[in-house]
Amino acid sequence: MIKGLEDTIIKLRHFWHSNMRLVSYYWERTHRNRLATCGLAFIVFLVLLALIGPFLTLDPTEVNFEEKNLPPVGFTVEQSVYNIETGEFITKKVAGTWKHPLGTDSKGRDMLAMIVSGARVSLFVGLIATGIAIILGTIIGVLSAYFGGWVDNVMMRFTDIMMTFPFFLLLVLIVFIFGPSLIFIILAIGLTGWTGTARMVRSESLSLRTREFVLAARALGASDNRVVFRHLIPNVISLIIVIATLSIPGVILAEAALSFIGLGDPTVPSWGIILEAGQHSLDTAWWVAVEPGIMLFLTVLAFNFLGDGLRDAFDPKSQI
Amino acid sequence: MNATHHHQRAAEQSPGPSHFAGNVEMDNVVLKVNNLKTYFFTRRGVVRAVDGVSFDLKKGECLCLDGESGCGKTVTALSILGLIDSPPGRIVCGQINYDGLDLVQCSSRQLRKIRGNDIAIVFQEAQSALNPVLTVGDQIIEQIKLHRPLNYKEARRRAVELLAEMGIPSVERVMNYYPHQLSGGMKQRALIAMSLSCDPKILIADEPTTAVDVTIKAQILDTFRELKAKRQMSLLFITHDLAVVAEIGDRAVVMYGGKDVETAPVSEIISNPKHPYTAGLIACLPDVSKATDKLASIPGTTPDPLEMPPGCAFHPRCDRAMAICSQQQPPRVAVSGEHKVSCHLYG
Repeated sequence: MIKGLEDTIIKLRHFWHSNMRLVSYYWERTHRNRLATCGLAFIVFLVLLALIGPFLTLDPTEVNFEEKNLPPVGFTVEQSVYNIETGEFITKKVAGTWKHPLGTDSKGRDMLAMIVSGARVSLFVGLIATGIAIILGTIIGVLSAYFGGWVDNVMMRFTDIMMTFPFFLLLVLIVFIFGPSLIFIILAIGLTGWTGTARMVRSESLSLRTREFVLAARALGASDNRVVFRHLIPNVISLIIVIATLSIPGVILAEAALSFIGLGDPTVPSWGIILEAGQHSLDTAWWVAVEPGIMLFLTVLAFNFLGDGLRDAFDPKSQI
Repeated sequence: MNATHHHQRAAEQSPGPSHFAGNVEMDNVVLKVNNLKTYFFTRRGVVRAVDGVSFDLKKGECLCLDGESGCGKTVTALSILGLIDSPPGRIVCGQINYDGLDLVQCSSRQLRKIRGNDIAIVFQEAQSALNPVLTVGDQIIEQIKLHRPLNYKEARRRAVELLAEMGIPSVERVMNYYPHQLSGGMKQRALIAMSLSCDPKILIADEPTTAVDVTIKAQILDTFRELKAKRQMSLLFITHDLAVVAEIGDRAVVMYGGKDVETAPVSEIISNPKHPYTAGLIACLPDVSKATDKLASIPGTTPDPLEMPPGCAFHPRCDRAMAICSQQQPPRVAVSGEHKVSCHLYG
């Protein structure tokens, strides 16, 4: 146990030592792309927001009808308020306060706190579901390419079948059957989203498989397992990183879309859920729908920019 | 775990012999290939890549497999290691005896233990035979750990020793290099170090000098010669270059069209070739002492592997062909003790 740990530490040190230059090389190449850098900066900001934000903001579940539908700071809106004593509606001007910088929703919950905890949920969904899809897709793609023959045939036909299913309908069906719980939504997205990855990884591995180092590894006694996990997969990592970065926004959007049509997990305040709640009060409190919308928009854009930048950086043929 | 693998290792335990080429006792044979036939069943027909090859590899000797490209040298090597992809390839008959085992009959698990551990191979192009995304050190360490119960630190120390033994400068730095950061010769050395990591009894070298330039070639041949002497290792050296054969080989097997046409000690192959093909190859070697406008060559081209000529495969190009050559396959004849040739001229 201790010995294994020691081994791992030495290995990590050597790995870091030998890969620092490589990492800085790719960083340099990615960094030169301004949009990708902005994307990365936004993603880092988002991750920090999701990690430490909830400790700094108000409780996103705290309901306060005294302060409902407050606009963001700097905005003033007219609201009709029911006066209990006279039994009449009166119109009064309401201005945003610094207590609720992004305003409040129709139940008086703090929008900033909801957006921050929504970031946590959306990132969680995006990373976990993409992780599942990428791992599945990589394993299926590499095995398919490496073993070829009937294994390849069976796996690729299965992939074809999965691809012909209308993805969103399948999602709706799964959520309908198993109930709108966040775990099932993540699983549903992950278990249906691997097909494209499998295809791309397979085509990449097919060409790798004929390279001499695979034969050399086998000739020196490596098992199939070892060839696949030590030789093929490390060679497709750059492709996988790009696919993952580009598919995270799709996943986040899919979750938001599910939430928007009312199939989201109502107990967890994701951006989609907030957006869905906000659409009913667009005429009285536009910010409830617009704020998570802007966040979704920026997040998707950031991941796409970063993914494009990484793709260019990892492509040895591109000159940047 | 696998009981059949714990077999007698008689050959290994016999005391290290001090022998000369051509004067070796039979029990020194570490690898015996007998009537090996490896065919590829393609859509266009059956390719008889290796069609009845037999040879013995003795302890501590360097046996050269020589012949034009496409004559089945590499397929022979891959057959020995059980690395023929099936489909389309298959060993249809023959035995490969190593250490009391017939490698043709071995399970893939048994073969995996033998590969790298008992029989190792060095490929032609070091550039593509090394994994581009792993450091040289990691690849050697992994190879060591595959067959030896060492931890990372011990395996790393062993890898450093091996690289140093191969004459690589500033080894600690090179360990962390990726293959593309090394020169061709260094890569080839690293590859040889990797193949030697588990002290194999037999090292197969598949044209290791083809992809490097002349000075590196000389260095690498020297390395092989030293290794052979130091480690009492048997070397199966695959090459198309007769000059290399003369340089390093003890005995040579000349192959043509998937068959071994002549087997003899190297000195005899060079001075007294029997088969017209061998004689033709030697006549083709340029003589630097004479200025000529034209290099000698063997007329014709290598036969289409899908349509081998009947009888002796070489007869369409042979200037001494007789009527029988296109009808019957020549038998293997011993012209002297160690010198065997398959040709109707001597039948």
